[in-house]
Amino acid sequence: MNGQLVRSILRGSQLSVRALSTSGPVRSSEAALDQAARDKIHPKLGNRDVVGWGFNGTASYVDREEFPLPAVRFKENTPDVMALREKEKGDWKALTLDEKKALYRASFCQTFAEMKAPTGEWKSIVAAIITALAVTGWIVIYMKKFVYSEMPHTITRQWQEDQLNRMLTQNQGRIEGISSKYDFEKGEWK
Amino acid sequence: MFRIVQRASVVVHSVAKQSLQRPAAAVVSLRGKHGVQESDEAFDARYENFFARPDIDGWEIRKAMNDLQGEDLVPEPKIIIAAMKACRRVNDYALAIRYLEAVQDKCGNRLKEVWPYIKQEIKPTLDELGILTPEDMGYDKPELALKDVYDM
Repeated sequence: MNGQLVRSILRGSQLSVRALSTSGPVRSSEAALDQAARDKIHPKLGNRDVVGWGFNGTASYVDREEFPLPAVRFKENTPDVMALREKEKGDWKALTLDEKKALYRASFCQTFAEMKAPTGEWKSIVAAIITALAVTGWIVIYMKKFVYSEMPHTITRQWQEDQLNRMLTQNQGRIEGISSKYDFEKGEWK
Repeated sequence: MFRIVQRASVVVHSVAKQSLQRPAAAVVSLRGKHGVQESDEAFDARYENFFARPDIDGWEIRKAMNDLQGEDLVPEPKIIIAAMKACRRVNDYALAIRYLEAVQDKCGNRLKEVWPYIKQEIKPTLDELGILTPEDMGYDKPELALKDVYDM
């Protein structure tokens, strides 16, 4: 659809065009489109140059380490950028450091160092986890204090010791169970 | 009957061992792809000749650079030199710096071992063309901060 749109616009403006691929950005050396046509094809492009195919054929800009050169320049072609470009055609040793930096920033948004810089996101993640654990802890305390009923009386240490004594007195499990582990003559555990 | 099976298995093993040994001599570089495997020198020559084309334009340079970035290797200095000269031909300084940064990125966590060698090899060309290395531009540390889209 994009290719047909391009071809009809170009036919209308009577420009000669080599065979274009069906979609994707137009090579600036082959067909010069006026701004209105460009706005139709690439709505968010503005004045920027399309300099490559990009990673999927659209005139997009993304900073990616694995794909260092996107399809469009980052900044628009303002007059001072155009002046720098004229200077760029001459000897690069004549460019000052600021001009070189300006040229870089005109074509690209972030440097590799900025792309790969750590974000500190891990701190907010750890903070969120600790907060969640804290809230859970408070809920546990609330449940124990207000929701759960009392523990059964048979769970105290004294009761359990008496229970064990009773089992031994009654000789429960005398063959393979608890009483078989108790030496009745000596009065201690085996 | 078992003797025959045993004999046959011994024969099969020895034939298999022979056939495994032979390819090691024939193939120069293993790329793990289908079809004919290109040697390292052919690969380097292909990219160097591509960048050395006198009528190359920015579109093609970017295509080649992005492809090189996708390969599992750090480009040879001669390829980098050819790319720098190609950038000079199309009058694009930012492209040259970006590609040097990309080469540094390909070195991965062995940057300190590999980059000094590359820098030593390409420094004459860089000085001749007037290209600074990313460290000289101050781009080895982050310079500007970008607001996160989720904070806007």
